[in-house]
Amino acid sequence: MSSRRSRISEEEITELISKLQSLLPETRRRGASRASAAKVLKETCNYIKSLHREVDDLSGRLSELMATMDVDSAQAEIVRSLFRS
Amino acid sequence: MQATKSFEQAFLRHLLRGFRLSAVSYKSMSLQERKSAIKLSADVAMASARGSRKWTRGLITKLSREDEHRSFLRLILGTEYGRLTKPRHGSWKIPRSKKIVRRSLRVCSRRKNNLRAPHGVKSGVLARTLVEKRTHALKRLVPGGESLDGCSLLDEALDYVISLRAQVDLMQKLLTTFEAPKLRALSKCTLPERKASFVGK
Repeated sequence: MSSRRSRISEEEITELISKLQSLLPETRRRGASRASAAKVLKETCNYIKSLHREVDDLSGRLSELMATMDVDSAQAEIVRSLFRS
Repeated sequence: MQATKSFEQAFLRHLLRGFRLSAVSYKSMSLQERKSAIKLSADVAMASARGSRKWTRGLITKLSREDEHRSFLRLILGTEYGRLTKPRHGSWKIPRSKKIVRRSLRVCSRRKNNLRAPHGVKSGVLARTLVEKRTHALKRLVPGGESLDGCSLLDEALDYVISLRAQVDLMQKLLTTFEAPKLRALSKCTLPERKASFVGK
């Protein structure tokens, strides 16, 4: 019974690893074949870290812009974005 | 795999609210303080827009550990705050799931290694250690990841990455939107006014 359970979770894990791989920028560019779990895990960690850095950078740039901007026009811009999307 | 339109709209809505709530202090803040406030708003907006997931709860819990964040979080999340930070009743299951994690990771990496390169026991051990090591690294990066087992961790990581990407895209779009009027204002200074030439005619 335990072997059945581990087989099921193994399939799930394989599928999840493959889904993660499809998200990674490197994979999207080269359309790579199936990478190892270890590689996908490493690339996922790197990707998350780079996304964190981007958010940090964008926060900085937004803060510079919003220093001189008043909140009402900021709100108006955001609402406009909402309608556009 | 992408974030939904409703997530995007909810994110922008929450971000707007976050800006409004902390805007009072914006003018009096230092650049660094404003940046932290914006980043906090963005993270809360992302977690709030996504709803209840293990990583969103982990993120809110992590953010609320800072005293200065807690009042903002309570203000912007309202009743959601209590729900998102409440320890789940299933937390006592953690010790057991760790065993399942190790077992499933062992089986998974051993099988994986056999499928790819049927070497020997040594490479199997190496692969298993590498996967374990990388899994630990991922646990630290995904909010709330420390208490998750193999499948859940990967599932949450997947969801988290999709949400992070959307967060980056939306913040980038916002930046572009905010910069546009400034660019227009700049171009007005350098180019002759179209309206004036029209009126002239």
